Amino acid sequence: MGALTDKYCIVGVGETPHMRPSNRTTLSMACEAVKKAMADAGLEPRDIDGMTSYQAGDSTTSNHIATSLGMRLNYSVDILGGGSSTEALIGNTIGLLEAGYCKTMLIFRSMNGRSGRRMGGQAPSGPVPPTRAAEDNQFMMPWGWTSPAQRFGMSAMRYLRDTGTTTRSLAEIAVAHRYHASLNPKAVMRHPITIEDHQNSRWVVKPLRLLDCCLETDVSACLIVTSRERAYDLRQPPVFIMGGTGRTMAPNAAWNYSRPEIHYVAGNYGRKRLFGMAGISQKDVNLISCYDAFTFTTLIQLEAYGFCGKGEAGEFVKGGRLQIDHELPSNLSGGHLSEGYTHGVSMVIENVRQLRHRADDACPGWAEGKHSYDRQAGCRQVKDARIAACLGWGTETMSSSAILRGIAA
Amino acid sequence: MPGPIDYSKITITPDFDTVEWWMATKEHKYLVRQCKDCGHKWFPPFPACNKCNAMDLGWFETAGTGVLHSYIVVTQPILGAFVEAVPYVVGLIELDDCHEADGSLVRVGGVMLDDEEDVAIGLPVKVEFEQTNEANIVVPRWKISGTAENTWKFNE
Ligand SMILES: [Zn+2]
Repeated sequence: MGALTDKYCIVGVGETPHMRPSNRTTLSMACEAVKKAMADAGLEPRDIDGMTSYQAGDSTTSNHIATSLGMRLNYSVDILGGGSSTEALIGNTIGLLEAGYCKTMLIFRSMNGRSGRRMGGQAPSGPVPPTRAAEDNQFMMPWGWTSPAQRFGMSAMRYLRDTGTTTRSLAEIAVAHRYHASLNPKAVMRHPITIEDHQNSRWVVKPLRLLDCCLETDVSACLIVTSRERAYDLRQPPVFIMGGTGRTMAPNAAWNYSRPEIHYVAGNYGRKRLFGMAGISQKDVNLISCYDAFTFTTLIQLEAYGFCGKGEAGEFVKGGRLQIDHELPSNLSGGHLSEGYTHGVSMVIENVRQLRHRADDACPGWAEGKHSYDRQAGCRQVKDARIAACLGWGTETMSSSAILRGIAA
Repeated sequence: MPGPIDYSKITITPDFDTVEWWMATKEHKYLVRQCKDCGHKWFPPFPACNKCNAMDLGWFETAGTGVLHSYIVVTQPILGAFVEAVPYVVGLIELDDCHEADGSLVRVGGVMLDDEEDVAIGLPVKVEFEQTNEANIVVPRWKISGTAENTWKFNE
């Protein structure tokens, strides 16, 4: 077990609706998300004395939120980063709280991911005008190989070849996450889909189809972390942080994939540290959020983090295994594929709600933890949810994670 | 063959670590970085040897041949430069002459001159240099150069 296992808790979560477009600033959205997270936790602005965020040059920063909401921070740092940053910042936060830099800390992401800067580099109006190919991009952009789908498609293609997996396994993930979105009033895409719907959707970049790709949305989302002692006095059942990893790398991380196996991804190098720190095994995990920028990123991380054997993920996901009421429910909010895109925060938020036993679904008593477990009636609470694994993805060579424990089930 | 690529819509900006590489493409040479101390080869041209950390570096002129290790087929253009080019194949090429005894190897990306139908993982490829519509920039592209056994093609 880690020295700090269970010592710090996630006590507040909040987010704006997923919008396309928001017609708002990232500052305005972030203030809304922060207010909601404080209200969720039962905290006031004066109680928050640390703030951190991640962004891609596309967001407001901590000092502006603090100024807007009348906070005086003892610690504030905003970093560059995308997917896999949430869990990495949870790690930073634990260390800062332990060291006494601050007492209660907020992590946020705010992005106009659809109407502003899009991760694929495509402007809302169509393909982008002259673009500067500098640094790594000197050896990507002139090859027409830039967007996340184009980059990760390369390892996905080789994985299909090496393992005999077909895209019907990718479809299983799209179907599972969409089913969960159908039970989530906040989700953008709520109509259930079938494997055939996936197979019939148009190509974006082979081997990935439209329904392999996440949404792009305008949104802000945030988490509040504090000590166990403070957490007991707050409004919600605490969710304990058992362990984690932060932007763990695979060796030889350049985009040109000069590693023996291009689909032996970073999670393989983080999983012993993650489960060792948490003091549990994969079998103890009741639900996961497995970063779904694409169906393939979820698929490959199942084996990287040891939920199935190497090369077995394609078989593992068959038969609805990732769906609620099955063995390993994944991305209960619908994830980035179907709820909306937050660069990972929303996946941690959903796990927190599940572990509180307070998934915000169609059950009238959800806020008090009263659920019917009737999926036809729109309940998406996982029964007896106690331990959740958050498996963040940045690239094939970078991954962060966290294991969370609840006491409400 | 894919449609034309409008390189005027990409501003390639060589820097301290890469300028010699881009100059060599104008002489139709495909270089990778090589450590003068230990002989290790790598790409892209990062400024230190990741085996011995030496920073006294040279270049190794590859034969410009390799094997197609993976590929993607881009059907939806993201960059303005590639609007006319779709559908095009980006290949990941494992260079023939950069294998080292400890298993280290070099792979490079590039736009294939071949269409999707003619491309399969495992096939041999060879570099061809394309003069772009920017006088100063020559870009390497790749072409299937033969046949092989046990090739694999994405077929859905
Ligand atoms: Zn060396």
